[in-house]
Amino acid sequence: MYSFLFYLILEVVGWMFLILSFMVIFIYLVMMILSSLEMRDYLRKNQFADYGDIITSPIAPGVSILAPAYNEGQTIVQNVKSLLSLHYGKFEVIVINDGSKDDTLEKLIQSFELEKSDFAYHAEIESKPIRGVYKSTNMSYRRLIVIDKENGGKADALNAGINAAHLEILACIDVDCILSSDSISRMVRPFMEETNKKVIAVGGVIGIANNCDVQDGTVTTYRVPETTLGRFQVIEYFRAFLMGRMAWARVNGLMLISGAFGFFRTDIVRKVGGYFPKTVGEDMELVVRMRRYMCEENIPYKVGYVPDPLCWTEVPESKDVLARQRNRWMRGTIETLQLHRKIKLNRKYGILGTVSYPFWSLFEKNAPIIEILGLIYTSILIFVGDFSAIYFIALLLMMYLLSLLVSSFSVLYEQIAFNHYKDKKDLRKLIWMILTEPLWMHPMVVWWGLKGHWDFIKGKGGWGSMIRKGFKTAEDRKNLSTQSIS
Amino acid sequence: MKKSLLSILLGFCIAVGKLFAQDILPKDSTEWMNFLHIQNQVPGLGYQLTFSPSLDSLRAKNLNLNLSKTDSGWVSDIREDFGIFSQLQQDSLDFQLTYFIFSSQNTEEAVREYISNLMRNGDFDPVTEKVKPKEDLVAMAVKSPYSPVFGNRYTFTADLKLFVVTVIIGFFFMVALLMILVMLFLKARKNRREILRKEYDQMIVDPLTTLLFEKELDELSNMKIAEYDPYFPQSYLSKPLYQDVLIHRIIGLNKKMKGEFKEKLKTIYHQLGLDQVSAAKIKQSKWHIIAEGLVEINEMDLVETLREVKKLSDSSNFHVRSLAVSALLNLSEKSDLSFLRDQTYPLSDWQQMNYLRIIKFVSAQKQLKIEMLFESKNMSIRIFGIKLVRMLGRVDLLERLAEMATLASNEEKIEILQTYEEIGAHMEVDFINQCLKSEDLDVVKQAIETSKSLGNEASVELLSGLLENLEDFSLRLLILKSIHELDKTKFDELTLNRGNSTFVEIRNHILDPKLIYV
Repeated sequence: MYSFLFYLILEVVGWMFLILSFMVIFIYLVMMILSSLEMRDYLRKNQFADYGDIITSPIAPGVSILAPAYNEGQTIVQNVKSLLSLHYGKFEVIVINDGSKDDTLEKLIQSFELEKSDFAYHAEIESKPIRGVYKSTNMSYRRLIVIDKENGGKADALNAGINAAHLEILACIDVDCILSSDSISRMVRPFMEETNKKVIAVGGVIGIANNCDVQDGTVTTYRVPETTLGRFQVIEYFRAFLMGRMAWARVNGLMLISGAFGFFRTDIVRKVGGYFPKTVGEDMELVVRMRRYMCEENIPYKVGYVPDPLCWTEVPESKDVLARQRNRWMRGTIETLQLHRKIKLNRKYGILGTVSYPFWSLFEKNAPIIEILGLIYTSILIFVGDFSAIYFIALLLMMYLLSLLVSSFSVLYEQIAFNHYKDKKDLRKLIWMILTEPLWMHPMVVWWGLKGHWDFIKGKGGWGSMIRKGFKTAEDRKNLSTQSIS
Repeated sequence: MKKSLLSILLGFCIAVGKLFAQDILPKDSTEWMNFLHIQNQVPGLGYQLTFSPSLDSLRAKNLNLNLSKTDSGWVSDIREDFGIFSQLQQDSLDFQLTYFIFSSQNTEEAVREYISNLMRNGDFDPVTEKVKPKEDLVAMAVKSPYSPVFGNRYTFTADLKLFVVTVIIGFFFMVALLMILVMLFLKARKNRREILRKEYDQMIVDPLTTLLFEKELDELSNMKIAEYDPYFPQSYLSKPLYQDVLIHRIIGLNKKMKGEFKEKLKTIYHQLGLDQVSAAKIKQSKWHIIAEGLVEINEMDLVETLREVKKLSDSSNFHVRSLAVSALLNLSEKSDLSFLRDQTYPLSDWQQMNYLRIIKFVSAQKQLKIEMLFESKNMSIRIFGIKLVRMLGRVDLLERLAEMATLASNEEKIEILQTYEEIGAHMEVDFINQCLKSEDLDVVKQAIETSKSLGNEASVELLSGLLENLEDFSLRLLILKSIHELDKTKFDELTLNRGNSTFVEIRNHILDPKLIYV
């Protein structure tokens, strides 16, 4: 009796894994098709868009750029200057010094001729206490506001910035990101285009700047990173930004806008109470909350996406830092899904509740657990002598091929749409990465994801420290071989 | 009791089995030999043949039994196949059999007992009669198709999961291959087109420059298509990609050049029949081709196509609709904006921005009937009309605005207030004060903003009242900013000596010169 039950369970679990594998394949194929259609339409639409008008047009919305800074003394001045030189008519730059322990604030005061002002700061959204709001006496820097506050984390700093912002659109960015000069005008377009729905947020692509040449705030020459970890992230970013998010944007199912480069409608952000500072996945949580609010208020809405390369960042090339980042992402995902479990399979929340949430839950949050369960299941089969090597190899081959297909599709996709990596050597490196990544990198990502689950259970919070090398400009490249900032 | 019953049952089964086995084994020696011959092999049973010494050595060799001569005769090695018996019987040879069970010599009786045991235990199932094919073997083989992977077929169909996975892999390969091939094809096509584009562009630049700088406008107008052949060969001109490159090059130059050069480019465009190409594009079904055609019509002033363009001004496609209206605004000689007034789709900010640019440009040449837009049934068009009054500085339309203001929606009221503020319509202060009493917070907010520059004493009173009633910090800041502009004494009265720290904070903010734009 017990033996029968045991074998029945084994059989059922086997079928479940098979169905799950089939679902993964089906979903990824659908995503490939959707993203292709979306990219095709986007490129066609872009042919007829004139971004020249938007810079000076009185109809274009104002943008408040929020840039939280924590211990960024080494690069803050250069980064803020770059932000102030963006090509757009109506914008302000709000730098939030989140209790830096280095000379970030001093450097800002000195470089931008700042003085403490009598700014009437009102904490509509709760944040850590403000020490002062600084404004420049120099008219050239009239767009700049610097908020000095006690340390409370990125979300808390952004909330302080939201309280001080007074323009229609919020651009939440990482201060060390490189923004293209036309990034605002391109990101603002979806907000201006829609007529029947309210565009509540617009996400953008994050490019990888490691080993690239940067000139005047734009990446001029693309090269794949020198480390394998860096190259792996190039493939991963292609998959995420060019394929995944494009597909979700097509069906208005985007649940995540990268915290490094996201645009939001100020009034809606204020209505939902800003960022939730107690989660490490504050970017995803905010989008879900905004979407939830719109559904609950029965207001037709849309979350837009711009696939143009407008923002670049440096990705971690050390295993420890990458592990911490992935751990944090996993915890952020779990926290967001836990916080908003009410929307799960709830038709009231449309595609968010019925498609996006279950997808994230199954294929993002629980993927590492499912994979580890698969390993345990295989071990049991070997132990009881019911293991079919042919079946196992076939299943493994199937999933390897899926990975190969998705990754190669993403690279080809990038080549057709943007063609940034022009050097054949770079392409060869990327292809080699596509072939080998599932064998050595994927298990590591799964492991980090599992650790994220474990840390979530233990109640671990916080960001960990992010070690940056600093961007290499074309000029820097000549003089510097390495530059490290700790 | 149970045990004894089971023992009896077991004993009965063994006895029946034994009897059954004994029944099958023949007793007669010839039949016994036949029996062994039919079985061909019995597990664990071997035998050795011994022939008489009289057998001549040549025959012994021909038997292929690996016989060796001994004192007792010719002896074979230990064999297991009984099938050879038929050959020996046919050759009428005398021989003796010695049995071996697992290599140990045994008697016939022991062999019979051994086979019985095997049968009883189910380890050996004897063949009772040799089945002979009823038909010829070759004929049967022909009927049965050749299946080289028969074994694998069994493996795949028997294991359903493996079968499903194999099917998925197959499907997967197909889709993956197809997708990658399509991608590679697209990339190759794109590259090929890019190379061709560059090639055509180089072919076009020189002749176009020659025509522009060496020919007069009249000369160009009188040239026939054949005369263009040395510049733009007809064989190339019929190629869509060449046409496309030429159109783009002419449009690019048209944007940069002025005066007579513009006219020359338009003439060349017409003479080469490119206007027909553009006109044909707007009759296509794909929206991006129509949009391309509309851009070309707009840039090259193809006024003859305006009737067709007007049909597209209410298209369901956002881009087609936008570009059609842009072309109409740009090219229409009439100053009426009925095509815009009658639009049923709401106007987006993006469209408004584009139309505004064109209208600003066109307004320098002719006075557009913007007031027509106030009559539209589409609220977004009416709002755009109000914005135009503000952005074009049409003071002459303020009266019309005042007429529609009383019946306007809240969104329209906000736009009207902004227009009053920007134009400086002091005479509309009553409307502003009326809006300060509105129930809609957005209207009130705009009225507070407008009253800052256009308000009067009544406005100050209303603003002071609002300050007491509204709790919102940003609104209080806005109100006090307006009061500060209108009546500084009232401002001091409201912000000083009241023991309200919020008001003091706001006061300091307003008075800080660094925060003048915040």
